[in-house]
Amino acid sequence: MKTMEVRLTINGKPGAWMIAPGDLLLDVLRREGYFGVKRGCERGECGACAVLVDGRPINSCLMFAAQAEGREIVTIEGIAHDGHLDPIQEAFLDHGAVQCGFCTSGMVVSARALLARCPHPTEEQVREALAGHFCRCTGYKKPVEAVLAAAAANRHKARNGSRARQKPAVEVLP
Amino acid sequence: MFDRVEAFCRPASVPEALRLLQRGKGKARIVAGGTDVVVAGADDIRILIDITRAGLNYIRQKPAGVAIGATTTLAEIEQSELLRKTAGGILCRAAATCGSVSIRNLATVGGNLANASPAADMATPLLVLEASAVVAEGRGRRRVSLADYLAGASAGRFSQAILVELVFPLPPGGKHRGWSFQKLGRTAVDIALVSVAAGLQLDSKGRVKQARIAVGAAAPSAVRMPAAERRMEGHAVDAALIADASAEVERAVQTIFDVRASAEYRREMSAVLTARALRECVAAAGGSL
Repeated sequence: MKTMEVRLTINGKPGAWMIAPGDLLLDVLRREGYFGVKRGCERGECGACAVLVDGRPINSCLMFAAQAEGREIVTIEGIAHDGHLDPIQEAFLDHGAVQCGFCTSGMVVSARALLARCPHPTEEQVREALAGHFCRCTGYKKPVEAVLAAAAANRHKARNGSRARQKPAVEVLP
Repeated sequence: MFDRVEAFCRPASVPEALRLLQRGKGKARIVAGGTDVVVAGADDIRILIDITRAGLNYIRQKPAGVAIGATTTLAEIEQSELLRKTAGGILCRAAATCGSVSIRNLATVGGNLANASPAADMATPLLVLEASAVVAEGRGRRRVSLADYLAGASAGRFSQAILVELVFPLPPGGKHRGWSFQKLGRTAVDIALVSVAAGLQLDSKGRVKQARIAVGAAAPSAVRMPAAERRMEGHAVDAALIADASAEVERAVQTIFDVRASAEYRREMSAVLTARALRECVAAAGGSL
């Protein structure tokens, strides 16, 4: 089997992977331990494998790993900072937007990209951003509410000039 | 699925990409966004040639018109200020209907056309804009009409060529012009069952000076509807004329069928979408019905 090296930034850190030339990004991410990136339909329909490439959400099942050369990849594992959940993750918890959780990581990274580009989206814009994410528990309403709430919290924060809510990170059960 | 791929190449120029394609002797595949290549899969492919770093990512206004590089993503087209101001923004509107955000961030306009799907969303608006495809082959480049390119691509005639650019003359603006893009799909992210793009130019008395209608996903490749266009030109625009033109589309369109829709349904919907598109064009052109 022929291999090649791909150099990239993954969740803020430089990385170098040995890959096969025909490897898909999804397969390599999971091989490297990023299990938050879910394997769903493997044909770009369900959005469970979404990650950010240079800040934009893409379906990692449709991208060759070799195309990641020189790019910045962010997976769900890179969304929280310093042990604190991202406000979008907080809002998903607060609003009961997580059922089985399989679609959640994709939805959160897409929402992250939306709010970075458009901090105060309309409900229509949130729906469009999440349209490529299938939730087979059919929980579409709560994620939309959660993203809108995260955006509203943003606005509140901007108005008050206060820092992000310092909530402890989710407790990890042994 | 791509276990037998031996090399992934990232050429920095089109000539380099063409050399790799030639060397691949039919076992090389051009990749841009990858969204169609990956889903299609291919056990016989040994070389993947990624052309997204070959300088084909741009949207430029030139004296003669607008040029869009083949690896420009559908997201970039959707968000282009220049294209939003061009022809009622139909290219932006068509791009915005293509799959989900995460598909549009990968998928490219060149890939959308080169894949030769009957349902290519970018084909109908580019057809009504009278676009040409610039194709690199051997040592040179040539321009072919988009209609010829689509027919050729679906027959596999461009397998040793690379689609590098789409160009179209800048349509004059003005209040007597209107454009529309309509698409019918099962869900917001599904491919089209039928799509229609149209453009109308009226004279000061409300007569049709020029009509352009293209139908996608109905026939084996997206096509212009010259008979319906001729049916309109020179006549005062009213509801009856739109009904006539739509009926002409329904008569003329050659329909395919697949898992998504029957040929009969596509034929009927071609007329429905044509009427919707023409009504929107008339409204945008300041006409009344």
